[in-house]
Amino acid sequence: MARRAAFPGFLVLLAVLVAAGPALAQQPKQGGVLRIAEREAPGLDPHISISFLTHSYVSLTYSQLVRFPNGPEQKSPTDFSIMPDLAEKWAVSKDGKIYTFSLRKGVRFHNKPPVNGRELTAEDVKYSLERFMAKSGFRDRFEPVQAIDAVDRYTVRITLKEPYAPFLNHLANPSFCAILPREAEEKFKDFNHPDAVIGTGPFVLKSYEKGVKVVFQRNPSYFMKGLPYLDGAVIEITPDAAARLAVLRAGKAELPHIWGWISPEESRALKQTNPEMSVTPYQVIGQGFIYMRTDRPPFNDVRVRRAVALALDRKGWNDALLFGEGCVDAGPVPCALKDWKLDASKIDPAKAKYLVGHDPAEAKRLLAEAGLAKGFTMPIFHWPGYVVPWRSYYDLAAENLGKVGITVELKPEEYGKYISTTALGKYEGAAMGPSTPFTEVDDFLFGRFYPELPTNQSHVADAELTKMLIAQRREMDPKKRKQIVDDIQRYLADKAYYVYVPQWPQYVAHPPYVKGFKHHDGYGLGMRLLYTWLDK
Amino acid sequence: MKRYILRRVALAIPTLFLVSVIVFALMRFMPGDVATRMVEGHAYAPTLQALRHDLGLDRPVHVQYIEWIKGIALHGDFGRSYWTRQPILEEFVRRFPVTLELAALTILVSVVLGVAIGIVSAVRQDTASDYVGRVLAILALSVPYFGLAVLVVVLPSIYFKWTPVWTYVAFSADPLANLKIMLVPALVFGVTRAGPIMRIMRSALLDVLRQDYIRTAWSKGLGERTIVLRHALKNAMIPVISLIGLQAPLYIGGSVIIESIFRLPGVGLFFFEALTRLDYPVVQSVNLIIAAMVVGLNLLIDLSYAFLDPRIRY
Repeated sequence: MARRAAFPGFLVLLAVLVAAGPALAQQPKQGGVLRIAEREAPGLDPHISISFLTHSYVSLTYSQLVRFPNGPEQKSPTDFSIMPDLAEKWAVSKDGKIYTFSLRKGVRFHNKPPVNGRELTAEDVKYSLERFMAKSGFRDRFEPVQAIDAVDRYTVRITLKEPYAPFLNHLANPSFCAILPREAEEKFKDFNHPDAVIGTGPFVLKSYEKGVKVVFQRNPSYFMKGLPYLDGAVIEITPDAAARLAVLRAGKAELPHIWGWISPEESRALKQTNPEMSVTPYQVIGQGFIYMRTDRPPFNDVRVRRAVALALDRKGWNDALLFGEGCVDAGPVPCALKDWKLDASKIDPAKAKYLVGHDPAEAKRLLAEAGLAKGFTMPIFHWPGYVVPWRSYYDLAAENLGKVGITVELKPEEYGKYISTTALGKYEGAAMGPSTPFTEVDDFLFGRFYPELPTNQSHVADAELTKMLIAQRREMDPKKRKQIVDDIQRYLADKAYYVYVPQWPQYVAHPPYVKGFKHHDGYGLGMRLLYTWLDK
Repeated sequence: MKRYILRRVALAIPTLFLVSVIVFALMRFMPGDVATRMVEGHAYAPTLQALRHDLGLDRPVHVQYIEWIKGIALHGDFGRSYWTRQPILEEFVRRFPVTLELAALTILVSVVLGVAIGIVSAVRQDTASDYVGRVLAILALSVPYFGLAVLVVVLPSIYFKWTPVWTYVAFSADPLANLKIMLVPALVFGVTRAGPIMRIMRSALLDVLRQDYIRTAWSKGLGERTIVLRHALKNAMIPVISLIGLQAPLYIGGSVIIESIFRLPGVGLFFFEALTRLDYPVVQSVNLIIAAMVVGLNLLIDLSYAFLDPRIRY
């Protein structure tokens, strides 16, 4: 009798356990060390170096005033909403010029000499941001900053010369504004010495064997209780890309790149040899384009630029090279920057065709109308060393343009020359290449189209556009700013100042036991590892 | 002998001066510059100018050269890396033992393989073992070491889920663990360098074996082993030793690729990273130090001839 009565209870218990199984399995576990294979960072000082490797390395150890969401907090890899980090809350004055940050109380630096775990204060924030403004290669992003004041022990006030909408995004970008302790600089001169790497972040730099490995340990007094899950992380210095993939295959590293990235081709090869691997495609903030001297003939004629735009068979490129997984509608705002992107489908089709269309007959007609019925020769300067599929892109562009009568002379350049001349707009004719993966839409608009900037590679000088570019920067209401950004995208669609090429996804690869490691665009790694755990 | 050494050392000074000028000029006249590389796509004019000023790149080129060479000649100061701000000499000295060990093991592998196969080929001329030896030498000569290195890293990882040991351990910390790490790169590099040694060894030994004194040794009824190893080998080694001397820069040059593939924290990797970053002072200084070492090594090799062949006098 008792047995009979117990049976339904047992079934209920079983059902509950079965239902709860997956949930229990996904409960993060504490412990384990994550091994990452990556090249060596050129330095460790986040304000002096502009290398993404430096910023990714030390993002494990430092905190910022504010940050982007990561792991379970993020809605998408390009979720750039602003989260509290060292600042618990902040207020922006009505005129958009004064930012007041209230710091968390009781945040302690890592327990390493000469700082020895003392509490972080507003003076540290002031010192760090002023140092950033004095030394960083990114300091132009803080150009509108007029003053930084430590109002009291836990309050920092930043005064701007004018309203500047991208400001909080720049402040949250892990490339820029790590908060550092002054004593370490006084003792070590800068923050390049491994002993000087003292922050308030989730991991403590334990040891650095140059050229061999960098060892990080969990910060036991990190201010986000219970985090990080990992006991530590090790960056094993592996300069060669083939070797990085080999260590992933052989189970000697969990990430074959500091962000786990591999190319579409590598992802397919890896899936064949290691079907158990977790390989996830992400549309990342990348962008490639043809840029032209729009201040000189023949590209000062919009018909010629439109002909170039219509000559490219972007869909064909995407199918042939990117397994159909790329994004054809790649500019002027990158596909992955979803909060700001105005899809071509929402633009007048007559204009949108210059962004995504392919019409060789119309291209020929436009050239004839521009007095170039017999075609012309167009040099395309480029660096052949960019990752796959760039080399194919150059050839495809030459082939597509050849079909409408534009003879392309491909002009390969040495990387140093390409970066110091062509990529900064010093070239004749046209050039082709990728853009830096910025996290603020302003960089893709103001940076790309404002007259005289070195990143205005097409030498655009368009008075009407310039007004809109300044307006979006100064508009503090995100909705109103988005409207201006949309207007800019509508305005730019048929101007063809830049001709965009399809953007490919990036694959994040790791063994299946690595959980909670989500891709987030931007150069930070520390926050991604905050929620990462090992299921083994 | 003393006068010979002094003369060679004196000759080294203009050689090294020329090397310093050429390396300096090559770096400065290469397209692009380090400041731009440091700022890359984020360059805004004031930042770039400020950085150039901080690095001293806005001064005339000859002033920059004089400053650099003066530091070395008067104070032994090779400067600091632009990127890491670390003293170059300190970094070089710290990393050099790794490269030296790799070079020594590579020479050991290549000499053991090259000399052994060369001897067998010469002694068994025109037999199956000679043909096999010669084919092996041609293979070793034709396969680029960097290609072989990548294959050794990649293929076993695909088919056997195995890769060479990666995490470098210093010899002083754990000799056995260190040798485990160095074994695969030294074998890869050594095998490809054994080809020329084998060919030189074979032809030199064939020449010596046809000499009258060898015939005399045969006629005296000495055994083959004694004739080849005791009488012929020492004389046949002179061109082999010269070849090793000539290959010395290759061992250092090759270490640039081998160290980056096998993750060995030596001078080669230091140089490779500096070159990709256009870190002028590092590339210049490492080149100059290596040039000085090659000059010194060649002197040592020249002096070793006297030991191998007592007829040679200085």
